[in-house]
Amino acid sequence: MNSGSGVGIHENETVFIVDDDASIGEGLRNLLESVGVNAEHYESAEAFRERWDRTRAGCLLLDARLPGMSGVDLQGELIASGIGIPVIFMTAHGDMPMVRKVLKAGAVEFLIKPFQKEELLQAVKHAFTFDRERRKEEAIQESIQARVKTLSEREREVLSMVTAGLLNKQIAAQLNLSEVTVKLHRRHVMEKMKAESLADLVKMCERIRLDSWKAPDNGR
Amino acid sequence: MMAMELKRVTQGTYEFIMKPIAIASCFEIVALLWTFPLQHVIAYPFVFLFFGAVMASAWFGGYMAGIMSVIMSGFLVTYFFIPPFFSMSVAKDSQSFLTAFLVCAIAITIVSSARRRSEGAVRQARDLLEERVRERTAELESSNREILESERQLRILTEAIPQQIWRADASGKIEYCNQHLRSYLGNTSEALGDSFFGLIHPEDETLYRQGWESALATGSGFDIEARVRGADGTYRWFLSRAIPQHTEEGKIARWYGIHIDIEKQHRAQQGLMSAQDNLARLSRTLSMAEMAASIAHELNQPLTAVVTHAYACREWLNSTPANVERATTTADKIVQESTRASAVVKRVRALFRKDQDGPLRESADINQLIRDLVRLLREDAIRREVSIRLELANDLAKVEIDPIQIQQVLLNLANNGMEAMADTPAHRELTISTHNHSAREILVSVADTGCGVPGDVIDKVFDPFFTTKPRGTGMGLALCRTIVEEHDGHIWVSNLPGGGAVFQFTLKAQA
Repeated sequence: MNSGSGVGIHENETVFIVDDDASIGEGLRNLLESVGVNAEHYESAEAFRERWDRTRAGCLLLDARLPGMSGVDLQGELIASGIGIPVIFMTAHGDMPMVRKVLKAGAVEFLIKPFQKEELLQAVKHAFTFDRERRKEEAIQESIQARVKTLSEREREVLSMVTAGLLNKQIAAQLNLSEVTVKLHRRHVMEKMKAESLADLVKMCERIRLDSWKAPDNGR
Repeated sequence: MMAMELKRVTQGTYEFIMKPIAIASCFEIVALLWTFPLQHVIAYPFVFLFFGAVMASAWFGGYMAGIMSVIMSGFLVTYFFIPPFFSMSVAKDSQSFLTAFLVCAIAITIVSSARRRSEGAVRQARDLLEERVRERTAELESSNREILESERQLRILTEAIPQQIWRADASGKIEYCNQHLRSYLGNTSEALGDSFFGLIHPEDETLYRQGWESALATGSGFDIEARVRGADGTYRWFLSRAIPQHTEEGKIARWYGIHIDIEKQHRAQQGLMSAQDNLARLSRTLSMAEMAASIAHELNQPLTAVVTHAYACREWLNSTPANVERATTTADKIVQESTRASAVVKRVRALFRKDQDGPLRESADINQLIRDLVRLLREDAIRREVSIRLELANDLAKVEIDPIQIQQVLLNLANNGMEAMADTPAHRELTISTHNHSAREILVSVADTGCGVPGDVIDKVFDPFFTTKPRGTGMGLALCRTIVEEHDGHIWVSNLPGGGAVFQFTLKAQA
């Protein structure tokens, strides 16, 4: 179609429109498609929840007022289940407390109907960028997780102690091993995790929020 | 017992024997002593003296004393004065004289004692009468005292009751006011006469006077609320109630009335009313706002669709090459959505116009409509301290109207007028007048003495959503114009030279 890349939009990204008014949904889809953006229309929050695949890239264009489950409720549910897809809200009524609430909860933009084309496209572009970064981050986290899984039990222990800042000597004492053995384990960890330095390794563990080793209580 | 018996016997003896003997003896001795010297001067003087003694004895001693005196006289005369002297024998030629003497003496006794008795009876009767009179007089006096006392009590009561009480004669002249009423009015005289009407608030006076006159004419009770000016010059609300007292023939003898101070209740009622008013206004505004919001939403949906489709349409045409196919279907969508928007507008209009079968028109008397309306407005006018004056043409032509709609127009104009005078310090008067404007039209005017309409907005006041009031909807006068124009009339506003504004509208007269 036309110059989608000109607006800075990738082929696999889609705007998921959730609006109970079919004609508005259709209008939005038509407008987005006319500028080369993929769009899908869902008639209700429930329909979206059922049919949408969480791995899909893009953003959500959500009407705040919907019959049944409201847009605000849907946003809450997505956050609760750890789905970070960016949300653009739209409504016909500028209800300030609600606007504040959804923006605080992480909505990208709030549009008052009827809105200008530029407003919408700007918001969509912003949301897509946000989503791309989010997805990149998620991919990195997943690869780190996969690397962690390749480690043996002992290597994982050594990893957690290393990231906690313990010296080889201390680790050897804790695990009742010789310092040489510890050094060997440590090299294996660095290799398997594809870490170039200790700092790199610590950063990776922080990214996936892996708990580092904690010294046992003094009482023991 | 015996002693009592004895005493009674002794008493009887004294009464019937001793006392008559003593009295008779006294008089006989006097007569005898006077007869001796006198017998040498006058022939037979004893006759008169002894007769006198008998008479006196019978008079003072009664019947018994008289008889005693006769007997004694008989003996004395026989002994001393009838020959032979100093003996009890009587000469032959003197016997007839003695007999005549005795007969005369007995007669005198009877006459004298009878006379005496009758005199005694008369005196007794008189005494009795006097006694009776005294008794009755005493009774009367005491009952008079009682009446006075009860009257005093009653007056104390009427003075002590913490209400204003008055009494008027049959013609309505006030004869008496109690202390409370006098001190409230600052008037010291008990009889007010007609001057009471002057103390009633000018706005209530007509109604009060009418009520009073109709009560006087019909003899029914009187019950009206009015403001009365007190001694300090301020008005308070009173409930004035009066009942007539009828004579036995059924005529009104006098009126008894009471004034109950209801200022507090009135204030409370006014507070309640203004609260209700505010509530009604609020709910009206709220429902207007809600309706406006729902209409706005209804319209916004298709408009949003139209706008987005229009943007899309331009994009399809601007792309290279132009996607005419998508642009065409998008344009169709625009038409479709615009039609939907216009349907919403139509539906809203239908909502406001309830008369699907054409407008209601019935023959009506505008003057009557105005009078009915003023009755509705009275409380409101009192609260806002506005007096309403009517100048209604007597020969006003009838009109064919929807009475409820026209009343709505009048109500709106009257309310606007009263609101316009809210800041007018004095002389708040709303004048509603009617005239035959031309052969085919009548003219209704609603004039106020408020601030008038500023010159820069005078052309806009009938526009929808135009308002100068902080809480106005801007629909009142717009609605008035719609209604009047639907009745083939005109409505306009002008400022009065003396301040204030006059809203006027015409209506087609009935053919």
